[in-house]
Amino acid sequence: MRNADIFFEHEPWKAPLIGSAVLHAAFFGGVLLYAAVIGSLHGESWGGSGSGGDAMSVTLVSRAAVPLPPPSEESQNIVATESKGLSESEKRPPEKAEVALPAHDTAKPEPQRKIVPQKPPPPNQVPFGQGGPVSGPYGVFNANGAKGGLSLTGGGGDFGSRYGWYVDVVRRKVSENWLKYEVDPSISSARRVYITFEITRSGEPTNIQLSQSSGIPSLDQSAVRALQRIDTFGSLPPDYAGSRVAVEFWFDYRR
Amino acid sequence: MVKRFVAFALLLLTTASAAPQQDWIRTGTGLGQEKVRLAVPEFQLAFGATPNSDTLRKVFNDTLWNDLENAGIFDMVSKSFYPLSQPAQPAAVVLDAWSNPPASAGMLAFGNLGVSNDQLTVKGWLYDVKNAASPQVLGKQYSEAATPENARRIAHRFADEIIFRLGGGLPGIAESRIFFISNRSGHKEVWAMDYDGAGQQQLTRLGSIALSPRVSPDGSRVAFTSFAGSSVELAMYSMELGRLVSFPRYGGTNASPAWSPDGTKLAFSSSMRGDPEIFVAEASGASPKRLTAYKGPDISPVFNPKSGAQIAFVSGRTGLPQIYVMDADGANVQRLTDGGYAVSPSWSPNGQFLAFSWNRNYGPGAPGGQDIYIMDVATRQWVQLTRAGNNDSPSWSPDGRHIVFQANRKGGQQIWSMLADGSQQRPLTASGSNTQPNWSWK
Repeated sequence: MRNADIFFEHEPWKAPLIGSAVLHAAFFGGVLLYAAVIGSLHGESWGGSGSGGDAMSVTLVSRAAVPLPPPSEESQNIVATESKGLSESEKRPPEKAEVALPAHDTAKPEPQRKIVPQKPPPPNQVPFGQGGPVSGPYGVFNANGAKGGLSLTGGGGDFGSRYGWYVDVVRRKVSENWLKYEVDPSISSARRVYITFEITRSGEPTNIQLSQSSGIPSLDQSAVRALQRIDTFGSLPPDYAGSRVAVEFWFDYRR
Repeated sequence: MVKRFVAFALLLLTTASAAPQQDWIRTGTGLGQEKVRLAVPEFQLAFGATPNSDTLRKVFNDTLWNDLENAGIFDMVSKSFYPLSQPAQPAAVVLDAWSNPPASAGMLAFGNLGVSNDQLTVKGWLYDVKNAASPQVLGKQYSEAATPENARRIAHRFADEIIFRLGGGLPGIAESRIFFISNRSGHKEVWAMDYDGAGQQQLTRLGSIALSPRVSPDGSRVAFTSFAGSSVELAMYSMELGRLVSFPRYGGTNASPAWSPDGTKLAFSSSMRGDPEIFVAEASGASPKRLTAYKGPDISPVFNPKSGAQIAFVSGRTGLPQIYVMDADGANVQRLTDGGYAVSPSWSPNGQFLAFSWNRNYGPGAPGGQDIYIMDVATRQWVQLTRAGNNDSPSWSPDGRHIVFQANRKGGQQIWSMLADGSQQRPLTASGSNTQPNWSWK
């Protein structure tokens, strides 16, 4: 029986248990109280009638990570966005300054300020179809998804501006003779190929050189062959003084 | 010492000034291309209102418009888009009115014509309307006796000048001719007409059967197959003399002559030694040499017009006729078509393509008909150009942009022409049966 003391010795656990229960109850009660009383002050509950049905509505933002600058200044703008828009609003003419009555006859009246109406800046937009021809260096044009460009340097330098039609002929003729099926069919796009050549007085392309490769042999070769296929572009314009014209021609390949 | 220095300085100066002043063009392309937008307001009568001047003006305007429209390199601006004031003189041209919408033209051809002392005078200009600084590309004046034929001829020449300038140095075809076989006189005879079907005239009057006319590269002679004698022989018609000239008779069946591009040789099919084989002879018919030696008929030879070093022909050595290519000495024979029924090869002027007539699913009840195809000789890639009726005997235009052929679409065989991509198909003849067209070399 001596050992029974060991087994029948009781820890006083009733008091801690009750304390724990009271504490738990107090905690959950506090949470509920917070939700019911203080939380309601903050607005709608999740999924409430104000947020659209039972589900939470979420707006996906694609560039959420982009650190956008905050609105620069507080404004009383009634427009829906903060953007100031592309068009400049007309400035309000300055109000007439109040003219104080002269206290004495000796005082000169202040000269009245003349109001100059603000002139709007001239429009910079090019109306559709009125862009005019390619003029000057590095003009770029677009047609049916194809791109091309032309520019002129050196020498007399005005061949392209004086004989734009001849440049067009060169471009069209090379395009006609470029057979895209010669290019490796597994290539879908490539870097630009540059070919340089010279046009003699009689219009023949000579000295055809690959000046910058695309890195794709079949494309380079098709570009060189396009030039080799051409016998003549037609003789240079009769009133052109030079004996030959140097051409740099580029090929953009896209399948 | 000073002298030497002066000489050296002079040398430097001269080399510096002798260095070629060179213009650079930098230009390029993506895929695709666009045509020139060309506006052609009607030429006005400037002076000389004679009774027939209105006729001449109409003939001229119609011919010029048709030539340019058929050239295949222009996008003709519809006349309803033109500005109200149409220029007849360079001073009257308002470039902006033409380059802006709705006309949006890139080029403008205009001018005037007048009649005095039975002379028709036409002045024509071609302007680049997007180049305000120096718009004139071309300025021409023509003068001929005042007849409708000359009005047509002047229009052809002016159109050819425009096409030559804007088409990249290829001469226009407005003055080319087409030779063909017609039975309008009751017999199959050789006829000729302008490229647009106008001015059809009969050449031979043999009262027999003539087939496969082929004009020589210089346009002076027409070789053809004649059934006039006891055997089928080649015959030669001189355009200069207006009559047949003598040509040797080989015996057997001789058909389908073809000129070499230098005009010195004639390839043809002959059965003088039994089987129909390809022969090459001098242009006079002397010393024929056999090139092929296979069992089965070999016919319809045609020289590569660019090099003259290859001959395409039709052979039935494997059964149905197929297109073959060989060197001009008979070596290196290669078959191009892989089946069906392929005949009538015609080599494009740049030597790159063969046009031919092909029935790819030959046989009773097989789908499809006989159509014109072109094949890239180097890569063997082919494209179908026609899709209606039965089409045969294609022949390339000298500029390589057009093909003339025969088709039976509206009842009876007629001659049609189209662009070499198969677009703009239109008939050139209407009456009788007209077959086997051959376009002149220039």
